[in-house]
Amino acid sequence: MANAGRFISADDHVQEHPDLWTKRLSKAKWGERVPSLKRMADGSEAWIVDGQPIALRGVAMSGALMADRAVEPTSWEQVPAAAYDAKERLKAMDADGVDYSVLYPSVAGVAGETFGRLSDAALELACVQAYNDWLIEEWAGVSPRFIPQCIVPLFPAAAAVAEIKRAVALGHRGVIYPAIPAELREVPHINDEAYDLVWATCQDLGVPLCFHAGASQAIQVQPYEGYSDAIAGALRAITRPVSTVAVVVNLLISRILLRFPKLKIVLAESALGWGAYLLEYTDFQAKGDRLHLEGYELTPSEMFKRQCYVVGWYDRASLQTRHFIGNENILWSTNFPLSTSTWPNSRDAIARSFQAVPDNDRQKFLWRNAAQLYKIM
Amino acid sequence: MRIRHGLISCDSHGQLDRDAFTRRMSQAKWGERIPQVVEVKEEKFPHPVHRWMVNGKVTGDSVCNCPAAMEGGVERGYYPQRWEEVPVKVYDPLERAKALDEDQIDGEVLYPNNPVSNAAFLQADAAYELACVQAYNDAMAQWRDISDRYVPLAIIPYMSDIEVIVTEVARAVKKGHRGIVMLAQPGMTKAGLKHFNDPFWYPLWAACEDLGVPVHWHGSAGLATQLAVPRWQGFTRNQSHTVSTSRLCATPAQLIPNLILSGLLDKYPRLDWVCAETGLGWVNYVLEACDHEWERRHLWTSGILTRPSELFRRQIYVDFWYERAGMELRHQIGIDKIMWESDYPHIASTYPKSWKFVEWALDGLDVKEDERKKLLYGNAMRLYKIL
Repeated sequence: MANAGRFISADDHVQEHPDLWTKRLSKAKWGERVPSLKRMADGSEAWIVDGQPIALRGVAMSGALMADRAVEPTSWEQVPAAAYDAKERLKAMDADGVDYSVLYPSVAGVAGETFGRLSDAALELACVQAYNDWLIEEWAGVSPRFIPQCIVPLFPAAAAVAEIKRAVALGHRGVIYPAIPAELREVPHINDEAYDLVWATCQDLGVPLCFHAGASQAIQVQPYEGYSDAIAGALRAITRPVSTVAVVVNLLISRILLRFPKLKIVLAESALGWGAYLLEYTDFQAKGDRLHLEGYELTPSEMFKRQCYVVGWYDRASLQTRHFIGNENILWSTNFPLSTSTWPNSRDAIARSFQAVPDNDRQKFLWRNAAQLYKIM
Repeated sequence: MRIRHGLISCDSHGQLDRDAFTRRMSQAKWGERIPQVVEVKEEKFPHPVHRWMVNGKVTGDSVCNCPAAMEGGVERGYYPQRWEEVPVKVYDPLERAKALDEDQIDGEVLYPNNPVSNAAFLQADAAYELACVQAYNDAMAQWRDISDRYVPLAIIPYMSDIEVIVTEVARAVKKGHRGIVMLAQPGMTKAGLKHFNDPFWYPLWAACEDLGVPVHWHGSAGLATQLAVPRWQGFTRNQSHTVSTSRLCATPAQLIPNLILSGLLDKYPRLDWVCAETGLGWVNYVLEACDHEWERRHLWTSGILTRPSELFRRQIYVDFWYERAGMELRHQIGIDKIMWESDYPHIASTYPKSWKFVEWALDGLDVKEDERKKLLYGNAMRLYKIL
């Protein structure tokens, strides 16, 4: 089999370069509102967007490349080139046995939520378009091994649809969207039909809709204030994937999947250890609540298996219950360059995770499922 | 407790009689504030209905959460609206014992029922809360005096000083309680309460460890709305119920990692923790995520000296009732840390066909006889020191 041993990492992050927005947005028009790095009083740097600091700890999410994974860079000169430079990134991928890498943002938010918070629609669109253009020019243009995915203006649907069409025409292969848009600014609940045009566009263009864990702090237990940075970082990394539980349960009952049966949903940085439990449980509850009498022609797990993907990177024993999740519904990643990443030992991590998994399934999770989803030949 | 059937429910709900509080609390001191069943008029119903009133406020949309014990059972899903509808086998310990035998269950660990939930009395003032908590703990302890088939769990007065909390726990344990049930993160449920990690609680952990009683979290343990996608108005009642119950693991799957990273398990190595009504198929996530980050970030250099999965298997218990995925992973989760629950008399209860559910959950998994004993009653006997 030609694909044996090949690996598509379905969830990695680019680090936006400080000149990404300053180079592409008009200084005359936007002045100080343009996203940029600013020097703080204590000598560190911070990303400032529309005059406000963003939620990012430090200036980048590149813990895997740091000497101490608990410490994020606090000024740009500390950021390793493999985080923001496509050519250096390719070397890091080679060192770790990664053939293709599906890209998510950092400064723009792991799910594009940073600009969703802006109340000025014109500034939001300018920032979003600059990111989408940069990712094509500086990454996808450098190597076909990068799978670019676009971010979009949060709302209204027409604005999101226009940008999706523009971005996909440029070469973007997926659409990144925050799972709880209503907590970013005053927009409808995600289940509202006001978003249907967005879902319809993703379905029609054949690009997956990607909800990345961590965009919502509200569904994650926050670290105790007395914790050290190392413990706080570890707790965030542990509560983040499993916070997907709240997103999935809502999604499965929302009817979005019933209205758009060909729409594909990627739950990035989800891990999969909770997946078997959740699908079994939700099926049981839906049956007890007699949802088949309320127009759900499929059980929650049937909808999941038809349309959803979880992304693992360290799961081991949990792979034994993969039949509850579906062998077509699991992707794998290195999560580079986040602190949680298996880089540079991903081959070992994969060997440990897949010890008891037959070769055919292993190839699906590491290659075939993602290749089919992103149309990689 | 005599083991005749070989099955102990580690999560059932003990309903107190309607006069449990009025009999125990001073009428002169508390008057109308005493928890009691009152008759009220509700628009939905043509005739007056009964509700529990706590601190002068009417609560709930039924008088007793006991659909499994009603005629028609969980399939019908009926919640009584008048006290006289509530079956005696729900609130009378002697009659209830017959229901246990009918379901072939030896005994049950008792969590609260109406009007008591995780923090029902956490309102008004500390003196009132304490009086209610003491009345509840006294009343439930009597169940154990009547039959050792009941293993009651005490509730705690959150608004009191820690010395008062500890004294109440010691008092309740002396009377027969075998553990405490509490909010998983008090500070998240109610502003003003201390964070779970705060040293404020240390004397409580020390006391529970010394007394040999575990700390219990039940269901979302006070975080039902916090860790959720905001409720959509477009959902029907049934759809909302599916959503809110299916994600019950959100609390333990996030707060057990916090417990592990808090250092409390090594600080109180003989104190056990129990997660009820949240199944076990999420535990493999917790173990793998915690071990992964512990290894990646060298957390032993940050004070977490013991591997997280070892800490879990040493001190944390979980319950199952109708799931198979977690049961397939029972050895990775920890065969000595899994117990069974019937959830009687709630809507998810296996009553009156509990053994059917047991066999369904274990069917075809090659569960050895000694494993079965542990899962169905052995682990519970050890944890609760049931003789």
